[in-house]
Amino acid sequence: MSDPTASASVDDALASFREMMAADGYLLTWSEAGEDKVVVTIAATEGACEDCLVPLPIMTNIMAKALAPTPYELDHVELPGAVH
Amino acid sequence: MREALLDPTGAIAGENDSTLSPRPVTLKGLTVGLLDNTKPNSTLLLDEIAADLRRDYGIGEIKHYVKDYFGTPIKDELFRQIVSEVDIVITAVGDCGSCSAATVADGIMFERAGIPTVSITSDSFAMSGQAMADVQGFPGFQFVMVQHPVASLDSTHIRGRADQAVPEALRILGVTEVA
Repeated sequence: MSDPTASASVDDALASFREMMAADGYLLTWSEAGEDKVVVTIAATEGACEDCLVPLPIMTNIMAKALAPTPYELDHVELPGAVH
Repeated sequence: MREALLDPTGAIAGENDSTLSPRPVTLKGLTVGLLDNTKPNSTLLLDEIAADLRRDYGIGEIKHYVKDYFGTPIKDELFRQIVSEVDIVITAVGDCGSCSAATVADGIMFERAGIPTVSITSDSFAMSGQAMADVQGFPGFQFVMVQHPVASLDSTHIRGRADQAVPEALRILGVTEVA
């Protein structure tokens, strides 16, 4: 994903969810996974509410929908290890 | 001994009914169940809403219920008890990722059991609630979203959240008749 416009589109698509995750103390990042897929990673920050983390099926649904307007698809979501 | 794993989505195989239960039109004399998910200020918010509904819409008995854990859908025993005891349910408050999803899942379970239900989340977690509705096969399920936050507020501000919630709750319940 060398195209900066494409990168920006993913950032924009995930922006509101990044804010939602931050409200529970989690940091959302993403990375490329092949030509047209991205991996979304959720990491706990200090003081994160472990019990508040959205379950994986729900998280996957949210991310897949969020990326729909972009040229990219969700590969998978990585949650903090303790909640897999 | 390991405990059995619960499906955090509460999804049940074959459960795909997305039809709302019959709406009451009026709340007069109806028994209202308040389902508290134990998040801070849930009790106060539900009580404020119920007080409004009693004063302005004539609801009957108010029954209080408490979930044992906010992050997963309601357990079957409590679910069946509530279904047998009330006419409508109001449940709050989904002000985190897991609890907003669970609050919506609970609402969908009650709707499928024929109980009109209002699930209340904070607006910051609307996406989590909507995603749960999608996963449950009920994408059109509507829920009340009050301004975030809720947990950290004092009673005056909770009163304000109740003011936001009541008109939306009435709309979702299809209530048109004032007592």
